[in-house]
Amino acid sequence: MPLGASTGRQHTRPPDRADALADLVLQDADGKDVRLGDLWSGRPVVLAWLRHYG
Amino acid sequence: MQLHRDRDKFEAAGVGLAVIGQGRPEHARDFIAANEVDGLRVLVDPARESYEAAGAKIATVNELLGPRVVAKGTASALRTGLFQTRTKGHPAQLGGVLIVASDGSVPYAHLAGDASDNASNDEVLRAARKAVRSA
Repeated sequence: MPLGASTGRQHTRPPDRADALADLVLQDADGKDVRLGDLWSGRPVVLAWLRHYG
Repeated sequence: MQLHRDRDKFEAAGVGLAVIGQGRPEHARDFIAANEVDGLRVLVDPARESYEAAGAKIATVNELLGPRVVAKGTASALRTGLFQTRTKGHPAQLGGVLIVASDGSVPYAHLAGDASDNASNDEVLRAARKAVRSA
């Protein structure tokens, strides 16, 4: 499919809990590892996933 | 999605804000420079594992380029002066927003149904304030 698009309509699956996210480790802009669960250990956090950087 | 433009409001509300994109750290640095958001936590997820765990979806062609999506995107670009740049990574991967409370619960979620579907900053800010009050 063009652009790697899905051939069938998918549904979003928002989680009730962020357990599946907590142990994921991503790099920040400096290339340093960040464990996602550490982001909300002290206070709530808004996590925004971008489709593009524009 | 332009939540980073109100990052001071999120900070004042007592919540953290982190933005996750595809690509590599240099793309995150470009994003920070282009948007003048020094200090904003921007993470990269080239494997899109976090997108999957967040429940975001892959769009169909119509959800990327359908008439309604194009019209809404054009109106938004004209209103904000912001135009989409080249996509990094999987071009059909949609994004979204979760608020995660300190206990790991997710009191708010808005995952994009199509490429033009973005939660408003005001909506997310209201939900963030509610999450803080409930903490």
